[in-house]
Amino acid sequence: MAVNRNAIRRTTEDKVIDTVVFIFVTLVLLVTIYPFYYVVILSLNDGVDALSGGIYLLPRHFTLTNYEQFLSDSKWIDAITVSVAKTLAGTSLTVLFTCMVAYGLSTPGLVGKKVYNIILLICMYFSGGLIPYYLTLRAYGLLNTFWVLVIPTMFSTYYCILAVSFFKELPAELGESARLDGAGEVTIFLRIILPLSKALLATLALFAAVSQWNSWSDTAFFAPANKGLRTLASLMREVITKNQVDVSSKQAMMQSARHSKVTATSVQMAAMIIAVLPIVMVYPFLQRFFVKGIMLGAVKG
Amino acid sequence: MEVISLDIHQSFGKRLRKQLPLQIFVWLGLLFLLLFSLIPMAGVIIAFKDYNIKTGFGGMFTAPFIGLKHFGSFINDRKFGELMRNTVGLSALKLVFSFPLPIMFAVMITEMRGSAYKRLVQTASYLPHFISWTIVAGILHAFFSTGTGLVNELLLAWGWIEKPLPILISADYYYGLALFSEIWKEMGWNAIIYMAAMAGIDPSLYESAQIDGAGRLKRIWHVTIPCIQGTIAVLLILAIGGLFSANFDQAMLLGNSLNISRSQVIDVYVYKAGLSQERYDYAAAAGLFQSFISLVLVILSNSASRKLTGASLF
Repeated sequence: MAVNRNAIRRTTEDKVIDTVVFIFVTLVLLVTIYPFYYVVILSLNDGVDALSGGIYLLPRHFTLTNYEQFLSDSKWIDAITVSVAKTLAGTSLTVLFTCMVAYGLSTPGLVGKKVYNIILLICMYFSGGLIPYYLTLRAYGLLNTFWVLVIPTMFSTYYCILAVSFFKELPAELGESARLDGAGEVTIFLRIILPLSKALLATLALFAAVSQWNSWSDTAFFAPANKGLRTLASLMREVITKNQVDVSSKQAMMQSARHSKVTATSVQMAAMIIAVLPIVMVYPFLQRFFVKGIMLGAVKG
Repeated sequence: MEVISLDIHQSFGKRLRKQLPLQIFVWLGLLFLLLFSLIPMAGVIIAFKDYNIKTGFGGMFTAPFIGLKHFGSFINDRKFGELMRNTVGLSALKLVFSFPLPIMFAVMITEMRGSAYKRLVQTASYLPHFISWTIVAGILHAFFSTGTGLVNELLLAWGWIEKPLPILISADYYYGLALFSEIWKEMGWNAIIYMAAMAGIDPSLYESAQIDGAGRLKRIWHVTIPCIQGTIAVLLILAIGGLFSANFDQAMLLGNSLNISRSQVIDVYVYKAGLSQERYDYAAAAGLFQSFISLVLVILSNSASRKLTGASLF
């Protein structure tokens, strides 16, 4: 209805605004998407050939050598393995543990609820800062172990608040009838509540997995001495910051790449695509849930 | 067996006993917060102490008090002025330039008629938010590096410049680079909240404005903007409160030895002084200094906003 009426009465002002809006959003679209596309075509182009420039829309010398080089380098393979392990372990721990605590907190008439909520809020808004945190992890003997990558993120106050508001919406009778049948709280939580909370679990799992996969600082700060714990993100950071200050000329790069068809930059492009791929693959699902998530965060302030 | 929890008239102890399994769920969470949040918070006390790492964890609490000495040496450090300028300067630039853009973008998206194209633009605009800063740094390298960067290549080819611009490796370009990359990564994401607020505006307001003869621009100005004023105020408070904290990931990934005079912010300095130079007590003091000023800023901007617009966070 409204659309039709507008279509009939489109004034000059409408036309100008529509045009300006169209141009602006198209610009945003191009500036957002083209960089990803550019990295894709560079990663699929012969590395030495790419040094001479001029690749804008399609690879000029199509090749998969950058990916072959990347995947044959045990350093990268190890990093991918650690990243996958950390993401799987970290995500499942975070989701299960946070939901368990949140389920407890969502109990109507919970004794001590006010105190618990205050502690939760304090921990949400204040922290000791990087150095005391580091020293604490050191005291627990977690530094340079795999566990430092998954245990400290096991509980999130933000996810917890999200989960509490979800559990509060579930009908209370669900647990009650099971309780009458003599089921324990753990059973009720695992067998009744969690299966009914798939939307919540999916949302939290996606958020947690993306941040696990992307984080580089946990490895760089808390496990720097253990080379076996380098993740894809942290190794990527090492490579990128090294290449950044590398001001060698094209000639020098061609020289150093004389014996192969790849350059440090072209392999880096392949590595970037591999690192982004999982995010892009879950993105359609992420997108479905996050607006709800961010709105909840906003309401809470 | 009664319903365990709903009956709030039962005595405290009785309720607690009935809720015990659920209480244990919560206690495990509290134990986690104690270990990984509250104890580190207590550890911030080393900022006021002469701490020796050899004394271990207990040493954090038994080390001798030296008052505000570390704060004094931080403020008198020759880097201090530069760190302040970079931290506050960058945040202020972001406040001026990257705060209004998401509002504009949200208005434009809302003005578009529902179409596949609108959804495409929206979907694409959120994507960079989920990409890590490592990847963003890699993308920036592909576009701006002096050797192979696309932008330098094109500018050279068109004869606009004589030699490549050292965008990634010169202090002169750092603020611009940081501002641009932040906008690129977060504009779409930051617009979501405004779009949600706009979606909640009563359509009859637009209709009556139209009947009164208001054109599109006037409707945006007199209906859309006033209706999202509260949201803008709250986000502005947050942004002002954040003036004293910088984007740590960005500074770590785009900062390098060649642009350090502009890229080093307090957070990075804390990391370097603490974890690299092992001056734990001093670094903790620098970090606490930053948190304290941030907190003061949040409280001030919150009360200012409450007085001026009536909107506040707490």
